[in-house]
Amino acid sequence: MPNSLLKKSAILVLVASTVFLLCWEYYWHSKGYVLGYDDHDALWYKYRHEVYEPADKTTVFIGSSRMKFDLDIPTWEKATGDKAVQLSIEGSNPRAALVNLGADEKFKGKLVVDITESLFFGTWEDNELASRLKYLKEATPSQKVSAQLGFALESQLLFLDKSLFSLNAMLSRLPWKDRPKVRGDVPWPTKFTTTNFKRQTLMTDEFVKDTTLQRRVTDIWTMFGALDKKHAPTGDTLQKVLTEVQTAVAKIKARGGKVIFTRTPSSGGYWDNEPTQNPRAEYYDKVLAVTNCSGIHFKDYADMKDFICPEWSHLSPAQSVQYTKALIGHLEEQHWFTPAK
Amino acid sequence: MVFNSYTFVVFFILILILHNLPFSWRTKKINLLLASYVFYAAWNPPFILLLWLSTIVDFFVGRALYHQNNLAKRRMLLVLSLIGNLGMLCFFKYGTFLLDNFVTVVNALGVNFHPAKPNIILPAGISFYTFTTLCYTIDMYKKKSEPVKSMLDFSLFVTFFPHLVAGPIVRPPQLVPQFETEHKATQQQLLQGLFLMTLGLFMKVVLADSMLSATANSVFGSEGKLPALDAWMGVLAFSGQIFFDFAGYSTCAIGVAMTLGFILPQNFFYPYAAIGFSDFWRRWHITLSAWLRDYLYIPLGGNRNGKFRTYINLMITMLLGGLWHGANWTFVVWGGLHGFYLWVEKAIADYRKDKVAAIAVTPSGEVGVLGPLPETFKPKTFRNFSIALFTFFLINVTWVFFRADTFTKAWYLLKSMFGFMPKVDPMLTTLSVVKVSVIVTGMVIAHWLMRNTKVLDVIPKMSWWLFGIVWTVLLLLIILSQESSSSFIYFQF
Repeated sequence: MPNSLLKKSAILVLVASTVFLLCWEYYWHSKGYVLGYDDHDALWYKYRHEVYEPADKTTVFIGSSRMKFDLDIPTWEKATGDKAVQLSIEGSNPRAALVNLGADEKFKGKLVVDITESLFFGTWEDNELASRLKYLKEATPSQKVSAQLGFALESQLLFLDKSLFSLNAMLSRLPWKDRPKVRGDVPWPTKFTTTNFKRQTLMTDEFVKDTTLQRRVTDIWTMFGALDKKHAPTGDTLQKVLTEVQTAVAKIKARGGKVIFTRTPSSGGYWDNEPTQNPRAEYYDKVLAVTNCSGIHFKDYADMKDFICPEWSHLSPAQSVQYTKALIGHLEEQHWFTPAK
Repeated sequence: MVFNSYTFVVFFILILILHNLPFSWRTKKINLLLASYVFYAAWNPPFILLLWLSTIVDFFVGRALYHQNNLAKRRMLLVLSLIGNLGMLCFFKYGTFLLDNFVTVVNALGVNFHPAKPNIILPAGISFYTFTTLCYTIDMYKKKSEPVKSMLDFSLFVTFFPHLVAGPIVRPPQLVPQFETEHKATQQQLLQGLFLMTLGLFMKVVLADSMLSATANSVFGSEGKLPALDAWMGVLAFSGQIFFDFAGYSTCAIGVAMTLGFILPQNFFYPYAAIGFSDFWRRWHITLSAWLRDYLYIPLGGNRNGKFRTYINLMITMLLGGLWHGANWTFVVWGGLHGFYLWVEKAIADYRKDKVAAIAVTPSGEVGVLGPLPETFKPKTFRNFSIALFTFFLINVTWVFFRADTFTKAWYLLKSMFGFMPKVDPMLTTLSVVKVSVIVTGMVIAHWLMRNTKVLDVIPKMSWWLFGIVWTVLLLLIILSQESSSSFIYFQF
């Protein structure tokens, strides 16, 4: 191809790509979607490094999705002056994160551990956390720079929300007929949540208003077995779990750190079954007993016990503000913000 | 640094600007060298010391080898270079593997020896730059070419970032002369280079990472006991993934070099359209095949010592070629299977008194390439297509050993593929099956249709707007797939 024609092709590429991407970005904005971040290894890594900041000015949170929805970070930081380092991961078992922090000699800070029993007492391999810990250990300088550039782009471009607009995400939303005995991708409503730069997950306004969307999510929880009469581990397996937690907490305390456990709200189908699946006396209370730590269980406090989660498991953004204020109050009662002696 | 990362985009723009500023040629070469070190250090900075060591030792040993006339001293220098290069490779790449095997053997002999597991990190691309420097010293020993005059040119030859970590494996005559005179891309080279970069990233990011890797990972991450459809889909997905990943890297590397005005050798030529295995190795990782031919197969005697020795030499070459890919016996079996296929092919060719056979028998006047395609392989007949499909089928069987991390898993997977597994539940979603079927079918058809044509030769046959649309679609799919920063499979080799 003559040089001049090659140049024409290149100009066409430049113009057509720019026009397409501008239209693509505009289209998703016009559909009511809001900017969010790909909450994977790099973003978690960024905050994992902040656990070493001075303990009198920082609180680290580990847990599963409930802690990510229920802790309103701006409310926390405004009311306490403490920095909130959110390390919780959706669908993951925070026990491994607790063990990781316990083994980290440099961590001497304040730690809030949220317990969702069905996950916390699980004994399966947690790929989500494993992937992040691998990144923590092996991330190259190039990956770290790419992550910073990626954050800058994600803060401006909606279509870079991988969970919603990547090629695979869009393909998986097509109505594929599943093969027998194979579960396809989970059909989450696209307007369920968004995650901000501080790793707080928020339900969208549309989701909070739309009970049909909420029903779709409760159907997914049911598919996941929220209503099953299953039990967490017992006997030796449970004892092993408790010993692991006890050891990790003891290490943190021995270095001057502070640990407290929480049980964030659930309601509807979840709360109807959770106390039966994992009776409090056998699980949550035992954790407090073996670790000699305090706990803030939402059912114990008047300002927490009546939350109705829109989809049984997580609080709406407005509720999370109320919950966070209540949590701060109860932590103050337990001298959480007073430096350890 | 990987090509499919935001860091590389910024790095590349800076290099392109620097290379086109009115600096002296020497300054531009220093810029390229420093950039190459930054490119490498962006993985793991301390390992740059190994690169420096290898560069310095081979530059001086190479020069001494060329000028030394005393045979004993020349042999000693060659051994020094071999120990330096292969020793480093053995320690970092095969250290744990050798220790494990040693422990297995002494334990089997009744010796109770259980050493601590060493924690050795493999430096990125060590197999590639070791082969690059090794061929230089061997060439110097044989006085096949002149020693590189300047340390700067030699360092840049070893370290030039487009080929540094995953090839193409270049020979000094292919690259060093390009550093001796000023090189800057013409506008055509710049645009063609940018297109090749887009094509390479499309292969890697869209096809390998976004469309195929999840299916391959699921199947090879399982125990291997699967329905035949799932097992085949997993193997075909890997077949596509490894091609798009590695050929994508090579295409990017060639494109990046071209935008700076340099030409790197072609590394892939539609391997899944290969008619038989000698043809496959003429099309797959061409620069490695040529390296193994010139520095292993021919020194072993090649086909000069009778048929029996030819077969043995062929097998040794393929077994070591397999081991080069990874420190695991599964890679050796992969190489062995290819050796066996080449044996069968050679036996048939010998029986038919056909002159076309085996990886290394095609004479070539060029450096580091495997010569032109034999005429019998060129026609796109139905017969040839059938043989190509059968070759592709056999290649897929070999990939099972390449990708499975244990023989047990490989065995279960093979049993699953051929329907010898008792009834088991499927694991792949409809979407996975559709993605693999469409992409792998498209890949095989595209390879067949393009089997005698280079990509850049197709562009002039298209109208400018059609080519522009194709290029736009590739670029947009890369952006929309949002699969950035995952490493290339061949970095681990």
